[in-house]
Amino acid sequence: MSASSEAHRLLPRPLLVAVTVILCAMVLVPTLYILLASFNTDLGVASGEFWPGSFSLDSYGRIWTTAGLATGLLNSMLVCALVAVASALLGTVTAYVLVRHTFTGRLTILRGLVGLQSIPGTLMLLPVFVLFSSAGNYLGVTVVGTRWGLFLAYLTFALPFSTWVMVTYLRGLPRELEEAGRMDGASTPRILARIIMPLSLPAIVVSGIFAFLLGWNDVLFASVLTRPSTRTAAVALSAFGATQEGGAVPVYSQVMAAALVSAAPVVLLYLVFQRYLVGGLTAGGVK
Amino acid sequence: MAKREPRRDLWLLTPGGLLMTLIIVVPLLLAFYLSLIDLDQYTLRRWLDAPFAGLDNFAEAFGSGLPHAIGISVSFAVLSTVATVPFGIAAALATQNAYRGRGLVRALFLVPYVLPSFVVATVWRTMLQPDGIVNTVLATVNIDGGLWLSGPKSYWTLVLVEIWAAWPFLYLMALAGLQSVDSEVYEASAIDGAGWWPKLTRVVLPYLRGPVLLACLLATLNHINNFTLPYVLFGAPAPDDVNVMPMIVYVTSFQSLRFGLSAAMAIVSLLLIAIPLFVYLRALRLDVHEEGGRR
Repeated sequence: MSASSEAHRLLPRPLLVAVTVILCAMVLVPTLYILLASFNTDLGVASGEFWPGSFSLDSYGRIWTTAGLATGLLNSMLVCALVAVASALLGTVTAYVLVRHTFTGRLTILRGLVGLQSIPGTLMLLPVFVLFSSAGNYLGVTVVGTRWGLFLAYLTFALPFSTWVMVTYLRGLPRELEEAGRMDGASTPRILARIIMPLSLPAIVVSGIFAFLLGWNDVLFASVLTRPSTRTAAVALSAFGATQEGGAVPVYSQVMAAALVSAAPVVLLYLVFQRYLVGGLTAGGVK
Repeated sequence: MAKREPRRDLWLLTPGGLLMTLIIVVPLLLAFYLSLIDLDQYTLRRWLDAPFAGLDNFAEAFGSGLPHAIGISVSFAVLSTVATVPFGIAAALATQNAYRGRGLVRALFLVPYVLPSFVVATVWRTMLQPDGIVNTVLATVNIDGGLWLSGPKSYWTLVLVEIWAAWPFLYLMALAGLQSVDSEVYEASAIDGAGWWPKLTRVVLPYLRGPVLLACLLATLNHINNFTLPYVLFGAPAPDDVNVMPMIVYVTSFQSLRFGLSAAMAIVSLLLIAIPLFVYLRALRLDVHEEGGRR
């Protein structure tokens, strides 16, 4: 047993230790500083302290008024949670048809699903903006600046990846599982709801979470498609970080606290679903 | 495979298909049209009546900052990808064999990856301020850090922060590649008495070539398309040295309000990423057989 584990050893011990220490330091030092600075005071951070003179939760209390983070977090939560659910459901339904049926154009759609993920957002932003504002100018429906406009955009951009994740998963589900249902004459939506969805819950979770992250991490669309009352956490934080510089006393501690609070939901999701997410990530090859 | 085809319910494709057509395919086609018209803040409200401009926008794009932006974008993307490869492979090799505390190390490696881009950019922007912690630390060893977020050094700031944020992607892909190395391969090379370096370069690394090349392709696409990092790090308009394509397209649209010109620039950037994208799509096996096929 020990001979076998010796055979599997890839790096000699000193090298292993060196590599691990260097990489950990690279990640840990900035992360630790951000954490410490958020528990410091603005004055303490401005004077260049690494270790806080005194620990306080002061910055975490202030950001709610100074950064307008509450509105941002609430908007992000609302929009992204809805996007996650809708995208996972739609993705599952779409993927099911693509996997179980053969029809002309199927391969083109599959290829499109992957290709669409790599289209630069900056290319899509302007035409989407023009379309959305046309809905206002020509049809009298306000889309730009509303939460549901943002929801529509994120849902659509999440859909190719959500569908792709489900395609790769559903391929592995044997057809026999549905045969019984088919024999009983159940309709496809019923088979989807009763058999397919419960069986593919892990993949549904992955595709939902990635849709959530797509919305949560976006700055590009949110910066153009929102107004102050509907802006997301990402826009609120970037604006806060940019406008607070150059004052008499820079509020770096508050910026760090606001950054950590904006990252918290994402970190939490990863902590809870780490096992599923890392697998899904390498399968889809997307950030 | 003479199996009875179940009832075809292709109508189920409608909701997803409709959304993707309306908000991806139509805008994509619209982008081509917008690049051919003279669209500014006055003609935007009634863009259907905007004057046709032919290829004027493309001519103007190439006459202005676009070639510079392409150069910056490509060199930034390639440099970031190449620099993250050794980090990713080293991290994967170092966490392949089990040891006490490995779970913690693996979780730590994912931190830059998990943090949203806008958070990474905000915290680095704060740390790289002229009076920020980076310059404070450098001052203790008598180095004048100077300006990180403007001037010629901003390019290297962008590259370094991107490397910090992106190397775990290479790590994850390399790790997935390592899982595919057969156990017998290690044992065989142990019987041969191979040292760790020959074993690594001749036995293990060849297994990684495929996954790492794929990761490089995807990473390069991600770097080229990255808008959040330069936008949040430097603000818009960005300093000349980090005026990457996503930035110039964004600023031309939503700050200079030259929408037609911006659409033309965006089309050019699409053509640029079409090359690596095409390679990727060709390499991808789309139609792995449904049942019993490898994931």
